[in-house]
Amino acid sequence: MSNDVTLMSTTRSEWIKFRSVRATFMGFLFTFVLTIGLGALITIAIRSHWSQSSPADRFTFDAVSTSLAGTYFASFAVGVIGILFITSEYASGSIRTTLAAVPNRVRLSLSKLIVLVISIFIVSEIVCFVTFLMGQAIYSGVVPTASLSDSAVLRSVILAGVYLTLLAVLGFAIGLILRQSGACIVVFTSVLLIIPLIIFFLPQSWQTSIAKYEPSALGRAMMSTAPPSADFGAWTALIVLAIYVIVVLGVGTTMLVRRDA
Amino acid sequence: MLKIDHLTKHYKATVAVNDLSFEVKPGVVTGFLGPNGSGKSTTMRIILGLDHATKGRATINGINYADLKAPLREVGALLDAKAVHPGRTARNHLRALAASNQIKASRVEEVLQFAGISSVANKKVGGFSLGMSQRLGIAAALLGDPQVLLFDEPVNGLDPEGIRWIREFFRSLANEGRTVFVSSHLMSEMAVSADQIIVIGRGKFITQGSVDDLTATAKGSVLVRSNDPQRLTTVLEALHGEVEASNDHALTVGGLTSDQIGHAAFDAGVTVLELTPQRASLEEVFMELTADSVEYGGTTLAPSHHE
Repeated sequence: MSNDVTLMSTTRSEWIKFRSVRATFMGFLFTFVLTIGLGALITIAIRSHWSQSSPADRFTFDAVSTSLAGTYFASFAVGVIGILFITSEYASGSIRTTLAAVPNRVRLSLSKLIVLVISIFIVSEIVCFVTFLMGQAIYSGVVPTASLSDSAVLRSVILAGVYLTLLAVLGFAIGLILRQSGACIVVFTSVLLIIPLIIFFLPQSWQTSIAKYEPSALGRAMMSTAPPSADFGAWTALIVLAIYVIVVLGVGTTMLVRRDA
Repeated sequence: MLKIDHLTKHYKATVAVNDLSFEVKPGVVTGFLGPNGSGKSTTMRIILGLDHATKGRATINGINYADLKAPLREVGALLDAKAVHPGRTARNHLRALAASNQIKASRVEEVLQFAGISSVANKKVGGFSLGMSQRLGIAAALLGDPQVLLFDEPVNGLDPEGIRWIREFFRSLANEGRTVFVSSHLMSEMAVSADQIIVIGRGKFITQGSVDDLTATAKGSVLVRSNDPQRLTTVLEALHGEVEASNDHALTVGGLTSDQIGHAAFDAGVTVLELTPQRASLEEVFMELTADSVEYGGTTLAPSHHE
């Protein structure tokens, strides 16, 4: 029957829910402000200090990743969008209304995933391209600039948006497991900020083998045109991060199916 | 038709629902009565596929809820009126629900109108009073024009006018041939709004029947007024009657019929002024039936003695 619940209809429903709360709008606003605003501050600072920078600094300088540095901060904004997309349903109790309308929980999880991936990907790519172009405009004339006609540069800018999208999905997946907004934000933040700190205090030999697996290092590798030898290459980093996200999402969806709502 | 079949639900150490079986038929309002914590809400959540049954099952026209092709078109439910994202408007809440089950957007306007909340449809739900939230919940339950409707404690928080509105609403749904299943811990409410009543306590089935059936099965008592209550008490107690003195020379007698009491009074030479069989109220029946199954029973506080 054409009137049955389908993946299409549940995705439309989730889209209405996604766009009809202020948290989504605020999340995207923060994504814009953090990426573009901090990108502007960082590139202006680099430009103004360029004349004093050492030859070594100039040699390792990356016009792409420095202009995209704001994405590290925006990753928290998109992560929170992903978290709240599910935890707000548990906080209000509306998850029961949702599951009564869509009893197939795998389909529900998939619908939310589709809405999240499409919307965050579009917004992130716009933000990353705008930030990149703005950064190069700020650099131009003083600092060496990068161009999108260079395929490595284009890849970096695109993967910066993909990185943000994957982190939003990671937030959503953590939300499925923990259900509680505060706990999810703590865990998400810990993964991005605390784990690198812990690794920093490990013996040097461990650091070199472990550090590259850490999510923000994967993001750095994805956005860099010439990755430092300690990190993965951009595509490998993308695959490793995607595996993390898929595993957590799989666990989260399984828990959604198994547990009482 | 709604069927509960040997349903059991364990939460860790607690048994919330214990081998519960009953059927809810269309065309009447069926009350689901039990003290707080007796498993009413758990049963409703299992019917809707929200909680997984430990044993047994709940079916709608023979189908598990999770297997319904478009659940909102078959079952409408109002479990918790406040369980709506507070930042979303009433209209968007209903539109999202409608979209999931391919229900036309025009239907959203119809149910908003019916529930009397069209004027606040673009307001955020967070600012709604409990009464308005109940109306939104009813609008949501009616979205798919379902044949089976479940309401968990629907009169909570409603003002008298709202309560009357909701009673008439249940009645009209039942008259249209729908299955209407309404839970409550208030027997007085069920006595006026339900045709059939299912009573549970501690997750177990206690009894089922019409309001009249339930009150008829209860132990009745007889009110006797006489010119010599002391003497009559002695006589009736000799016949194993349970006699309780009240004011105005009246006695409330349990365990004996009015015939037995009349004959006994005549034999003892006591003049009977009034002899009235007391029909137990549904409330008394309910208290009697569920006396052993109240989860948080209070005890009478002993008076403290002062010298």
